[in-house]
Amino acid sequence: MKKIFTILAIIASILAIILSVLPVSNLAIVPVVAAIIFGIAAFYLSKKSGKVNKIIKFTFYLSFIALAIILYKAVFTETEVADVENLEATETKLEEESIEELEDLDIEEIDMEEIDIQDADIEDILIE
Amino acid sequence: MQRIFLIVLCLITITLSAQNNAIAPGEKLTYTASYNMSGILTDIAQVTMEASAVKTSKTTLLKLQCKATSYSKWDNFFKIRDLYESYVSPKSLTPYLYNRDINEGGYYKNMKYTFSHKTNTVKSVQKKKPNKVENKTVSINTGTKDIVSTLYSIRLYDYASMTIGARKSLPIIFDREEVKGQITYLGKETISTAIGKKECYKLAIGSSQAGVLQGKNSNFLWLTADENKIPVYGKFKIPVGNGELKIKSATGLKN
Repeated sequence: MKKIFTILAIIASILAIILSVLPVSNLAIVPVVAAIIFGIAAFYLSKKSGKVNKIIKFTFYLSFIALAIILYKAVFTETEVADVENLEATETKLEEESIEELEDLDIEEIDMEEIDIQDADIEDILIE
Repeated sequence: MQRIFLIVLCLITITLSAQNNAIAPGEKLTYTASYNMSGILTDIAQVTMEASAVKTSKTTLLKLQCKATSYSKWDNFFKIRDLYESYVSPKSLTPYLYNRDINEGGYYKNMKYTFSHKTNTVKSVQKKKPNKVENKTVSINTGTKDIVSTLYSIRLYDYASMTIGARKSLPIIFDREEVKGQITYLGKETISTAIGKKECYKLAIGSSQAGVLQGKNSNFLWLTADENKIPVYGKFKIPVGNGELKIKSATGLKN
């Protein structure tokens, strides 16, 4: 049982460290909590048997480092958009090309007819 | 004189009721797209939806644009710079020209559709690399729109007069294929958003399956229950967890 909890604590703490350095650092809170719980369980079971393995303490250190990274990123990392120059250039280019193409298109249809009807109606009011 | 005035007024009202009363040039909606796993939210990208007027020598059109930009913390892992735009009639939102320029984690694709509503065809030009160009003409049904104008035209329906469970079919052309989208009106709900507490119309999106009212559908959209009908919240099922679209700001609204 002690061994299983120790292994689970090691896996969870390593996972916590990996997730905490990725952009999904928020998700690392789940393995951090798991690592601490497994670590405490392994620690008490080891204490009962008289010898606490160093690796258990190590999982606690890893979990706290991961927790510190998560908190730091949550407080100091701003969610902002950067590097949009290329997108803005594409936007301008597409608009220029599109207007050129729209000039060649045959856009009469429904709308122009609707405008004509409305204009005629308004004119009627003025005449009356 | 009065009778004629009343008749004319009625005519104008009838004409206007079938038109775009929700979207105006200058409208800008900003959203945050996030990934939600068991309540833990991770912001991924910023999505903006903008409407602007575009003048040609013959007429003035409405340019509808949707942009998705990944947040800077994601750029080194998976950079998203997507641009979707549609040039539509300002009244009926009938599309004339559609552009899609996507750049997702190094994958690039550009697609252009030119709509011909007289012949019910769409001329498409696809570019994956500068020298890899594919032209194709696709036949469409009357009323088929591109994805951007479909998203906006969802806002033109009169939900106040719809009964719960009412469905609307939306034929969409995407990736040079015509697909059938569907929205189901699920009733009113009040939700808290970044722009205040809003009474909303809740819609289920994209599924024609039975049981949508029993909550079996997982894609939902909430539109404000006012004249603008702006989408304020979206929830989408993805393999692990949920995708969420939350409004951050709304400016230049028509009403």
